[in-house]
Formats: sequence, C-alpha cells, structure tokens
Amino acid sequence: MDPFATLGLVPRFDLDQGELESRYRELQKALHPDKHTGAPASQRRMTLNKAVEVNEAYRTLRDDIKRAQALLALHGNAQASGEREVADPELLMEVMELREALGEAKVRRDLTEVKALAARVDALRAGVRSGLVAAFAALPASAAAAQLSPLAAQVSRLKYYQRFLDEVSAIEDEAEAS
Amino acid sequence: MSLMQIHDPVGAPRPIGIDLGTTNSLVAYVPLIGEATCIRDCDLDPLVPSVVCYRADGGVTIGKDAQRLAQQLPQDTIVSVKRFMGRGAGDAETRRLGPYRFAASEGPVVTFAVAGDRVVNPVEVSAEILRELKRMAEDELGEVGGVVITVPAYFDDAQRQATKDAGKLAGLQVLRLLNEPTAAALAYGLTERQNGTFVVYDLGGGTFDVTVLVLDNGVFQVRATGGDSQLGGDDMDRALAQRFLRAMGFALEAHVPPGHVRVALDAARAVKHALTEQTVVEAEIEVPGDKSLAQRVTREEFEALVRPLVERTGVACRRALRDAGITTKELDGVILVGGSTRVPLVRKYVSELFGREPLTDIDPDQVVAIGAAIQADLLAGQGPSDDVLLLDVLPLSLGVEAMGGVVEKILPRNTPIPASAAQVFTTYADNQTGFELHVVQGEREMAEACRSLARFTLKGIPPMPAGLARLQVRFDVDADGILKVAARELTTGICQSVDVKPSYGLSDADIERMLLEAYDHAETDIAVRALREERVEAERIVAATEGALAADAALLLPGEREVIEAAMQSLRAAAGGGDHHVIHTRIEDLDLACKPFAGRRMDRSIARALSGRNVAEVERDTANAKGIESHLGPRPEH
Repeated sequence: MDPFATLGLVPRFDLDQGELESRYRELQKALHPDKHTGAPASQRRMTLNKAVEVNEAYRTLRDDIKRAQALLALHGNAQASGEREVADPELLMEVMELREALGEAKVRRDLTEVKALAARVDALRAGVRSGLVAAFAALPASAAAAQLSPLAAQVSRLKYYQRFLDEVSAIEDEAEAS
Repeated sequence: MSLMQIHDPVGAPRPIGIDLGTTNSLVAYVPLIGEATCIRDCDLDPLVPSVVCYRADGGVTIGKDAQRLAQQLPQDTIVSVKRFMGRGAGDAETRRLGPYRFAASEGPVVTFAVAGDRVVNPVEVSAEILRELKRMAEDELGEVGGVVITVPAYFDDAQRQATKDAGKLAGLQVLRLLNEPTAAALAYGLTERQNGTFVVYDLGGGTFDVTVLVLDNGVFQVRATGGDSQLGGDDMDRALAQRFLRAMGFALEAHVPPGHVRVALDAARAVKHALTEQTVVEAEIEVPGDKSLAQRVTREEFEALVRPLVERTGVACRRALRDAGITTKELDGVILVGGSTRVPLVRKYVSELFGREPLTDIDPDQVVAIGAAIQADLLAGQGPSDDVLLLDVLPLSLGVEAMGGVVEKILPRNTPIPASAAQVFTTYADNQTGFELHVVQGEREMAEACRSLARFTLKGIPPMPAGLARLQVRFDVDADGILKVAARELTTGICQSVDVKPSYGLSDADIERMLLEAYDHAETDIAVRALREERVEAERIVAATEGALAADAALLLPGEREVIEAAMQSLRAAAGGGDHHVIHTRIEDLDLACKPFAGRRMDRSIARALSGRNVAEVERDTANAKGIESHLGPRPEH
C-alpha cells in the first residue's frame, strides 16, 4: 500500500508536516468509526478498514525512517521493506564504539556523558537526514537499483542512530525512576 | 395560529456519560437544550462514592450509605475497586495496605470473599456502581440510551475489557470507552474554543494519566499518552495511614485488623483533604475498641511523605512530551484533572515541571463525566457539531513473546487507533500442528515483565517440514483500545480458529453466566432485551439509510433505490413483529442492499477530504516556482 497515495500526497522525503497533519485529520473526519456509529455493519467495516489504513499511512509518513523506506519501496527497492539489511562495516564499527561508550557511561551512572553521546549521535542523525533530503530530491523518477542502494545505506544509518537514541531514552527513564 | 411543538422530556432514550472513578463516580448527560450537566442525588451531590457493601442479608449497598458501613464492615465493603480491574489473583495490588479478604480463586481473576458466603470479582463490583448510576440517570431522564464510560488512558487491554464487561453486566449499551484525559479535553476545549497543544495532567484516586494533545478546530488529536494505572490519591492515603497505624502501636501492616486499616485510611484521607486549605491539622482518630488517638500533621510532613509519589508522575510526563516530540515551551496550556490535583504539592510540582501555571477553572471532579456525556451525545448522532472528532492512541505497546522470552513489538505505544498489524510466524519442528502464541502489553524488554494479555493456541496446521508453514497473526485494536487477534495459515489459506484464554480476564461464558445470575427471570428478560435492542438498531439503520438516500440520491444507480426501499420496507415490517432473529436478518438484508451505494458514498467523502490538496498544492507549486526564479536571478544577457 502506498502511504502517499492513501493520504493524497506527492511522494517526497521532505514532506510538509503541516499538510500531512491536516490531510490526516480531514480524512479521519470522514472515516473514523465515531462518524459511522449509526451505519449498517458492512458500511462500518468498510470505513473502519479505510480508517486503519489512513492511520497506518500517517504513522509511516510521520516517521523519517519509515517514510524513506516507503519512498525506496515506491522506487522498487526491496531492501526498503527491511528484508535484508546492508551491513556496512564502517557503520558497524562506528556504532559499536558508540554503544560501548554508552554502556560504560550507563554503568558509571554518568548522565552527563550519556547526554553528550546523545547530542553527538543526534548531530550525526541530522547530518544524514539532510543528506537524504538532498539525495531524494535529486533522485530521478526511474532510478536504477544502483542509484537506490546508497540511499538505502543511509536509511540503515538513520536506523542505527535512532536505536541508539531510543536506548538513551530508556537509560534516562530508568535513571529518573530510581 | 400554529401549535407549538412540545418535546416530551421523557421521550427518546438519552445517551449518558459515566466517569467510573476510583474514589467517586459520576453520570452526566447533554439535555435537549443547554449544556452537559452532571446528575445529582437527593443531596444535590453529583459524586457517588465508588463503594459497594455486600451485606450479611444478601443485599448490596452502594455509594454514600456503603461508605458509612465501611468502618463497621471493612471486609465486606469494597472501596477503590478500580485498582483491581483486570488484575490477576496474585497482583501486587492485593499485597498493598487494605482490609480485604481475597478468595482463593479458581480462575486467574482476583476475587473478594464477602458477607453471605459470596465471592465477587472486580467486574461484578463495578457493575453494581454502574447500576446505581443507571438508576440515578433513569430517575432523571426516564429511559437511558447508549453510554460512554471513561477509563484511564493508561489502562491496558485487560483493564479496558473488564470495564466494558462491567457495563454489559450492568445492562448498559456501551457505545465507547473514552480515555479520561481526552474526555476532559473535550469538555474543556468545547467551552474554551481554543486551538493549540495541551497537556492533560490527570491524577485521580487510583490512577495517573498524562496526555499530550492537539486541539484543531474541533479535532482533538492525542499525540502521546503515558501514566501509571496504580498511582493516585489512594497511595497518599496509604502513606499517611501507615504513620497512623504505627502511632496506634502496630509494627507490621500484615497483622493489622481490617477495622483498624479502614479507620486509618479514612482518617488519612480526611487529613489530606483538610491540608489543602490548612497548613496543620489536629486529627482525632477513633481507634476501634480503644481510646481515641490524637494526631497532629503539618502540611510539610504530609508533603515529605507523598513527595516520592508525586515525583513519579514526572517520569511519565517527560516521556509523553518526548514521544509527542515537543518541549514544554511549545505548550499552550496544562489542564488539571482529578481530585488529587487539589493537593497543593501536586499543583506546585506541575507548574514547575511544565514551567507554567496550570489551568484550573474547571471542576476537576466533574470535567471527565461532562466530556463523556458530550461524546455519548455525538456518538448517538445528537451532537451539535459534525466537526468534533476525538483521535486517540494505543497507550502501551503490544507485542508477542519471541524465542528466549524477549518481546517482539507488533504495535508500539502511541500508535493512532483504530490500528492493525500482521505478523508472520513459522513452525520450528517438523509436522508441528499447533503453535502457541503469548500476547503481552508493556514497554519492558522481557515478556515476563509485561502484562500477559492472552495465550493463543493455533491448531490444525497441516503437517509439513519445519519452517514451511506460514502463520499470519493479525492484531486489530479498535477505537476503544481493545485488542482482537485472528490467525491464518498462509500456505493453505485456511483461517484457523484461535483459542483464546484470557490471562487476566473473564471469558464470554463467564459474562453470560453472571448476566444470567443477575436476572431473576433470566431467559425471558434476555429475549425481551434482545428484541428491544434489535428494534432500536432497526430504527437507527432505517433513519441512517433514509438520510443517505436523501443526501446522495445522485450516487444511486438506476433501480438501486427500489431495491433499498424494498429492503427498508420489510425491515420496518419485521420491527413491528416480536421476533428479534427476523429483525436481525432483515437488518443484514438492508445492509447488503445498501453496500455498493455505501461504498460510493465513502469514496466520495474520501475524495472530498483529499480535494483540499489541489488548492494547497497549486498554491505551493506556484510559490516554489517563484522561489526558483528568485534564486536564478535575472538571466545573463548573452
């Protein structure tokens, strides 16, 4: 299912968030189950399925990584669906070092270091993201597989950074709770 | 001279909204003319204490009268039953300070042993409270229609299901479960007519919720929610009660007689309330069978006791803000809900946490019930505005237990609902014909640390080598936040039956049995009810169909109207008869006749929703084009 088509948006990475939000709300005004409470069963099912699809598309497009994967999938890149990850040794090394540093900071309960690492990764993520904005904008409609794989690699990078930042959040939550 | 049309005030059944609270419950409705309002008892008090006393004579007392019996019959009087909803027999809540006698339960559900050799579960206790509220509403309105019941946003699937079951057991037609913070925002937002991003901080008697939502011209979109369904004013009472019990000379909670526990908890609550206005309280506690005990509590001492509890709310608040992707600076307001937000320390903490004074111009006790009534009115199609819509999220991640006890998340927390997701599993042994699936809810990595929702056994997989079978399991979460699971074997395409064993819930058979027990002449009553419900349904669908035909005649194909009209006519005839099965069949017939027409109507409404695009897009494209020109500057001259 093409999430851009579901929400009636032109496929692009650099999506206008405001437009996404308003499109989403307009569609749910027409489809949400609360708007069809008096309707016969099959009509309720029909609109419910559509409402679920709109929610799913919205969730995909709101998220940088999922939106990039959806775009790659539209271009016919099978890797986009996450079936096979590109294992870039350089990226793996980088991430392993970062994770090790994070693990040590966690054991030391050094929240300042945790925050510093998070800031570093967040900057890396921002860099990759703006690179993707440019790369997707420059991508021709009929891009060949060779043109897609560097983008897919950057998306994996984004994923690793996101996972790292999620871990940071988990550490911060734990530190606060204790 | 024309005759004025007079509405019969006790005519059509009115939809109602119920706030089924830990400490107090309320029922509200939207009158034909005027604002949503809470129904009051004969003392003009809208609060019904959520207290149920099971008397030795076999009767049941609810509300204020039950509250008065609590000290005398501490083990037979269930207070704060909401804390036990959807909970297992060995749940941590059963070990906290309280006067109850937990029955050795056969099933997984926690049960209380009460007077008259009765054993009751939390769903039955809650149903008693709901019945009382229904009675109050009927006294005021005549017949009540559908009901919206509120639940803490952070309630998990089992707790939601238990609440819905309680409604069913009380003989209510539950239109929706509505999250309490969302209900509060609805009540608030519709009065204030403000747009922006708001936080609802809801600290009740037993539960804490925080919700970040966006109000945009009648659409209330929840961005993130968080909380703790076992944190509230009750825990403050317990902290203070423990101090009183020590003063009475009890060293260990476990050995305190139930009567003393009840007295200490009640005294603690009274002192807590008094400390909202006063800075010091001199309490005189009537110790059962002893002389009374004088206790002096300063606000400072109380705050020191409850500060750790209040600070626990901060973790959930910060996480909700992070999940919503916003900072406190971007907030337009903080709305306080729940009786426990009257505690001065809570107000101080909230304003420091969010860097602004919270909005308190609405009664934190009534606002949730008012919101529920507005939503019930909207769902019954009687609301004033078509533009109002609540968009909510899944509060806790749903997942399945994978190899090694690790949770594999299927739907993450804060996913907009309704939602669905499918996951494909395979067999790990040759000729394996069954597959066990453990569904859990929560944020922890290990399944054993999450809430166990259900264990499913998929049976009847055709024998094949390991790894060949492809089992697709589908998770559907409805707008109430309640999960349904279905499974299919993909290589054969056969839908497999799913064996549901709720880990902490009541099965449909349990509910049916309790329903039967609740009625004296069960069978006839149930048939009468079924007939009434089908008639209401028939009326609704005929009205909806007539409306659709009138509004969208242009979308009808030649001959289609005649088929639909005929189906409507035979439904009307059936509704006049006394067989609910026949009415049901005719409803399905009409549904079928309308299906293609309904499909065209849906497609058209989607197209309309998307049509805003063209204008915006054209505008933006023009703007972009201009942007490029200005970047290029004037063309070089050669």
